Amino acid sequence: MKNNENFTMSVVLKNKFGTLMRVTSLFSKRGYNINTLHVAPLVENNEYSRIILTSNGDQNIKEQILRQLEKLVDVREAKII
Amino acid sequence: MKANGAEIVIKTLISHGVTDIFGYPGGCVLNIYDEIYKAGESLNHILTCHEQGASHVADGYARATGKTGVVIATSGPGATNLVTGIASAYLDSTPLVAITGNVDSKLIGKDSFQEVDIAGITMPVTKHNYIVKDVNELEETLCEAFRIARSGRKGPVLIDIPKDVQAASCEFHGGLPLPLYDNPVPDDTEIEKITELVKSSERPFIYVGGGVVSAEAEEILAEFAELIDAPAGFSMMGLSAMDYKNPRKLGMTGMHGVYAASVVQSEADLIIGVGVRFSDRATGNIGKYTENAKVIHIDIDRAEIGKNVAPDLSAVGEIKETLTRIVAKLKAENFKQTLTSWNERVTELVTKQQKLFDGSNRNPGDFTPRKIIKAVREYTEDNTPVATDVGQHQMWTAMNYDFGAPRTFITSGGLGTMGFGLGAAMGAAVGTGKRAVLITGDGGFHMNMNELATAVTYKIPVVIVIINNGVLGLVRQWQRQFYGERFSNTTLHRKTDYVKLADAFGAVGFLVKNEAELRNALDKAFEVNDGPVVIDCHIDMDEKVLPMIPPGGSIHDLIIK
Ligand SMILES: Cc1ncc(C[n+]2csc(CCOP(=O)(O)OP(=O)(O)O)c2C)c(N)n1
Ligand SMILES: [Mg+2]
Repeated sequence: MKNNENFTMSVVLKNKFGTLMRVTSLFSKRGYNINTLHVAPLVENNEYSRIILTSNGDQNIKEQILRQLEKLVDVREAKII
Repeated sequence: MKANGAEIVIKTLISHGVTDIFGYPGGCVLNIYDEIYKAGESLNHILTCHEQGASHVADGYARATGKTGVVIATSGPGATNLVTGIASAYLDSTPLVAITGNVDSKLIGKDSFQEVDIAGITMPVTKHNYIVKDVNELEETLCEAFRIARSGRKGPVLIDIPKDVQAASCEFHGGLPLPLYDNPVPDDTEIEKITELVKSSERPFIYVGGGVVSAEAEEILAEFAELIDAPAGFSMMGLSAMDYKNPRKLGMTGMHGVYAASVVQSEADLIIGVGVRFSDRATGNIGKYTENAKVIHIDIDRAEIGKNVAPDLSAVGEIKETLTRIVAKLKAENFKQTLTSWNERVTELVTKQQKLFDGSNRNPGDFTPRKIIKAVREYTEDNTPVATDVGQHQMWTAMNYDFGAPRTFITSGGLGTMGFGLGAAMGAAVGTGKRAVLITGDGGFHMNMNELATAVTYKIPVVIVIINNGVLGLVRQWQRQFYGERFSNTTLHRKTDYVKLADAFGAVGFLVKNEAELRNALDKAFEVNDGPVVIDCHIDMDEKVLPMIPPGGSIHDLIIK
């Protein structure tokens, strides 16, 4: 893969049953890697959780992951950190 | 007002303007079916033979009308039988709400009788799905499901409701529809850049997809094409977005695209993709696809931009609005283009296509698929819904049928679901109140022909034209082309007598072997208004879909013979 790079992503999503699976299922469905994953409720609002995950791919894949994550109904924000 | 869960489901459907639902009862939806019973005339429920059939009926209904299709099934096998239908709707962005019952919430997770995790199963093929574990959340969830199915890029949403939640009561607020979510709006500079690029193009080509049909943007599309003097090619999903009488319409592009559309596309210096996702079947080799052309991509789904093709410019927004703004901008500048040499080249290619593919190189007596489709078209009106299954007959229909109104081509494009057609045609007939036509294959028809019984029971007028080649034709064609004519398991050797079959189901059937017999049968079939008619057309097993661009290929690899 050209311009393959590692990146870290923050995804804020509703702290509901099944939402973590929606995120991981999206990665497997689209063929993206998850290298590490950490999830915890937001300190300021436990109705939401933040996933910090690391993945890899080129610029295009990075963009695609963000765009696809943003389409998930339970996702409030997805960004590269 | 107090209501129980099942009442909330049915009342919310009615509040959303739903008049027709499709489904199959069972233990875990008994409460819901009880409310359907009580709703009486205000809700028309069609009982199919199989939940897959119900899902395709709901899908066809939605495609033909633009409304949201609703399908109901019980837990376990009822729910899993919906999966192919939901996935077909997902790949073609059809708004669908699927409601499944599940076992009591206290039994969930215990491998109870007829328990499956349908939410887990359908996660990758729905826009969103829910398991409602508290009746207090049911009303809002149902309203939200309709809102999600219809907002932005449309698609299916599933709601799984355990039986105890259907029985439990809570306060009900009327189940009124929620306003749709806002669409992204391209800013003025993006629109301006697009108009500038369009103006500088000498050989523009508009590539139209299902998004245009879904947005009902056919009028502004035609105006745009006129203004910039460009020809238009279509993905299979977009084919009904322009009237065949419009000379700009070249037809389908891609793997089984028509000759002129594919060649024109390859010679364009600008491809303007509208409501398309540049699927592999439509583009072939991506590198070659954009070799000589700049690309503008207009779509409602931001994730589509750059997914398959990296465009030079893009606009993310509702398609009708976005095209309207582009047209307004061009008009404000008094822009009106005439591209004489480009359009002469287009005409030249269209003429060449007619010579190559109008069938004049065949014996006059040959009963060709093209003749069948052209004959059927003489009987249909511009707004007759036409459904297909998947295979050669589908491609022959896409290539030869003259679509005259939007939402008239009901076909499984993205998932390519054999068995889709009969249910979808029935749904289109129920939704539009018109006779529908199904053009199917002998393979695909055998997958869900049980629904013939449903069409008879509910007196649904569908003219079913089976293009019977005795083979799984499209697969066989690939075996001929790419697998050294090793025809593994594509010859059907079936003895099905479709005339007797139709009779056994309570319908009328005809067997035809030439054009005269076909016309005779069509004369009679189009007189029947209260049920399905089957016409079994025997054709040669070696008829091919041509031209063809092999997978991953480009226009240079076009197979003509
Ligand atoms: C459910 C399903 N299974 C398998 C396929 C693969 N497939 C695509 S076309 C085709 C042949 C269809 O045969 P038939 O319905 O007779 O149509 P024909 O190509 O002969 O017109 C097959 C098996 C599919 N698209 N869908
Ligand atoms: Mg066949």
